[in-house]
Amino acid sequence: MEKILLRNIDVPNLHQLPTYESAGGYRSWRRVIESMKPAELTEEVKASGLRGRGGAGFPTGMKWSFVPKDSPKPKYLVCNADESEPGTFKDRLLMERDPHAVLEGTLIAAYAIQSHTAFIYIRGELAFAVTRLENAVAEAYQAGLIGKNMFGSGYDLDVIVHRGAGAYICGEETALLSSLEGSRGWPKLKPPFPATHGLFGCPTVVNNVETLAALPWILDRGAAAYAAMGTEKSKGTKLFSVSGHIAKPGVYELEMGYPFKKFLEEDCGGVPNGKRLKGVIPGGASMPVLRPEEIEKVNLDYESVQAAGSLLGSGGVIVMDETTCMVQAAWNLARFFAHESCGQCSPCREGCHWMEKIFHRIEHGEGETADLDLILNISSNIMGNTICPFGDAAAMPAAAFIKKFRDEFEAHIVARRCTVRRELE
Amino acid sequence: MDPVKITIDGKEVVTSKGKTVIQVADELGIEIPRYCYYPKLSIAGNCRMCLVEIEKMPKLQIACNTQVAEGMSVFTQSPKVLAVRKAVLEFLLINHPVDCPICDQAGECWLQDYYMEHDRQPSRFHVGKVHDRKKTIFGPNVVFDGERCIKCTRCVRFCQEITKTNELTVVNRSDHSTIALFDDSVLDNPLSANVVDICPVGALTDRDFRFKVRVWYLEKTPSICPGCSTGCNISVETYQNRIARFKPRINEAVNSHWICDEGRYCFHDLAGGERLSTPLIRQEGGLVTATWEQALQAVSTGLKESSSLAAILSGRNTNEEAYLFAKLIKKLRADATLEVFYQERELSEVEKILVSPDRSPNFRGGRDMGVNSKDGFDGLMRRLLSGDFAAAFIVGEDLTQAADPEAVRTALQKLSFLVVQDTRVTETSKLAHVVLPGTHFGEKEGTYTNRKGRVQKLNAALIPPEGALQDSEIFARFLELTGEKNGYGTPQQIFTALAREISAYQKLTYDSIGAQGIELGSAAAEHHDR
Repeated sequence: MEKILLRNIDVPNLHQLPTYESAGGYRSWRRVIESMKPAELTEEVKASGLRGRGGAGFPTGMKWSFVPKDSPKPKYLVCNADESEPGTFKDRLLMERDPHAVLEGTLIAAYAIQSHTAFIYIRGELAFAVTRLENAVAEAYQAGLIGKNMFGSGYDLDVIVHRGAGAYICGEETALLSSLEGSRGWPKLKPPFPATHGLFGCPTVVNNVETLAALPWILDRGAAAYAAMGTEKSKGTKLFSVSGHIAKPGVYELEMGYPFKKFLEEDCGGVPNGKRLKGVIPGGASMPVLRPEEIEKVNLDYESVQAAGSLLGSGGVIVMDETTCMVQAAWNLARFFAHESCGQCSPCREGCHWMEKIFHRIEHGEGETADLDLILNISSNIMGNTICPFGDAAAMPAAAFIKKFRDEFEAHIVARRCTVRRELE
Repeated sequence: MDPVKITIDGKEVVTSKGKTVIQVADELGIEIPRYCYYPKLSIAGNCRMCLVEIEKMPKLQIACNTQVAEGMSVFTQSPKVLAVRKAVLEFLLINHPVDCPICDQAGECWLQDYYMEHDRQPSRFHVGKVHDRKKTIFGPNVVFDGERCIKCTRCVRFCQEITKTNELTVVNRSDHSTIALFDDSVLDNPLSANVVDICPVGALTDRDFRFKVRVWYLEKTPSICPGCSTGCNISVETYQNRIARFKPRINEAVNSHWICDEGRYCFHDLAGGERLSTPLIRQEGGLVTATWEQALQAVSTGLKESSSLAAILSGRNTNEEAYLFAKLIKKLRADATLEVFYQERELSEVEKILVSPDRSPNFRGGRDMGVNSKDGFDGLMRRLLSGDFAAAFIVGEDLTQAADPEAVRTALQKLSFLVVQDTRVTETSKLAHVVLPGTHFGEKEGTYTNRKGRVQKLNAALIPPEGALQDSEIFARFLELTGEKNGYGTPQQIFTALAREISAYQKLTYDSIGAQGIELGSAAAEHHDR
């Protein structure tokens, strides 16, 4: 398979402009700004079938086309580089190793919506990636790739790298915009949608790092070449960051539709130390866990993973072997979501902590069997009733752990301690 | 406005584009429970209490942020909606201390009310509650209990959007989210106590009112704030014949949903303190008690014998009282100078949202009734201080507060005859030759005309103390002594008489004033012409 996102990843000094350019970098940006109309560009990306890689999988070209063309307000392009989902570290690799690809994609997307100011909102903790991106932006300004009247086209574009102050919720696009505006990182009500009322109330598009990084290749090789890869509805390639009980953890680029089981066993070397697989989260901590038998026939594309009862999400694959206590794993995740809930709307603010406290109680041998149904009920009371998708992100994994490993939870409750670890002892 | 046809609970309604589901439901009288939604504030959408089911939408939608669309079908009572209300209430209550027995909000708490209406299940929360700050002083009038707070942010939005003073914000995350003052800030803007009114729970309570009386014992009388001439509509809430608090009454033509803090607490000054309960007449050695007959006689004789008379009526006297007062004074001395007490002061930008620069709620009405003179109140005061008058009849005001107290005292002492009609002993009444115990705003029925010419109705919330007489009755008795056979009795009868006589009021009837008042010269006033 031809790599798209990681095509140059092993080239030394790729983060420097001359290296990036000699590998074909900024060829697309030059072609776009010199010869393409924004509408043409949008059509091309629509034709490629590229979908948002932040987790929701929304078609990128369509997202751009929602921006009103006749609005008198300035328009903004925001690169969502607030990668914080536990188990997900794909954007980080791109930003650290190939920052110019991220930047070039940002420029192309900004041009498509005719934005003259683009922001790269980056997770504050990713200090090294911040440096790399800031350097890339400075080099690009120096080379006249960004700035006023680029290549004599009359088009102006500024790029601002903005560091977040540390909250998972700021990866949610409207919370990100609130944070970028200088407010609390609180998600905004939709409608209105960012396409019409985004940053500072102006039309805004928020695209994920990986989504943007795919654009230079798509514009260089053509939408058809991209669309030729992948499945009917999930085109192209996607990054997967694999962690946990796996022989070869890391970031992998796969063609959409690649068999999940084959990926884990062959590409990633399977579960090490002769242990058996117990469960795997396919798309980052907020997605439902799957049992080994559930991934037998799953392919890594949006539709197939969804059909199996989970979601492809960000492609953060977390592998758990038979030594994993699922009660502890569930509590660990619940604790994360309870801590990160922004506290704005009632079901999420109160419900996440409630679930966490019950998981805590079970883990510590003080649970009751009725607690399991209580968590399922709390989870369903949160689902779909919150301002932003965070509520679902917290509720889905909690429910999935209980539904799929109920026996283990019940044994843990009855024994008043972890049965998995006891067996191991 | 483009018409839009929607269905709510099977009921078809034509409404207009741009309205939200909750607005349309409110207009139809279909109650959708809510906490964060407040009609005068921006949409926060955070409580999730107003979730409703909308046909063809997979998820429940918040009624406060969903605009109506042609053909939309809304269900506010479907099983899904009822279930989610129960769920949201449970979420709001799990960390709530449920300390109703010691909470001042009990009885007017939206958690209590909605729990009874939509939840009614025992707690399923058997883990530790989150603790937060208790009895945190936010400002001179407001105290905060973090544990009772449901983070609806009404108070935060009020300070951002109405007063624009931005004292409050939300701090911390998840279930430790709480409302807090910004560093070095205090919630002491001129409208601060309104946050207590809009707080749906016991998180923000009124430092002045709390712990005084359980709200279910309060008697509520619709009336008009006596604080200034804006004429904010209020509810005077009383317990055991005392005012416990003022609450705003909604009137979009006057005060919207708000009242200012100064107005809210002005009853302490105006209705508090020890009352005069018997007429007093000056004799050698001081003021001694007298009967009403003796006092009225002494006043009639004294005023007739004086060469020049200043007559000052309080700006808190009603139109009906002013009408009788003007009649009486003109009858006693045709050359008397009459005025309504009036003083202006500087207002801050936030005060200007509601407050008028005076403390005379009915100065305009009083002057309309004939209590006026060419040079206004300032002119009258100048003349009084320079010794132009031989006698004065002062109603309901302590004149020493209108200018340099010493100068006023000296001027009043020089008068050959001074009548003071008031509810309490004041610096002015101490100098009087006759003191008549009257009534204050809380004890009378009648009308005020605000600064903008809106005639509004006062209602008696309290019974006056024994021995005191209604101001209007005192004037009426005087008029009888002068030989006027008036037959005025109730405020309504007096109003009918004054409406006949005073041209600006001719179109009005007492009944047409209603609970929201009526603008002089307005179409509504014409409409009620009978």
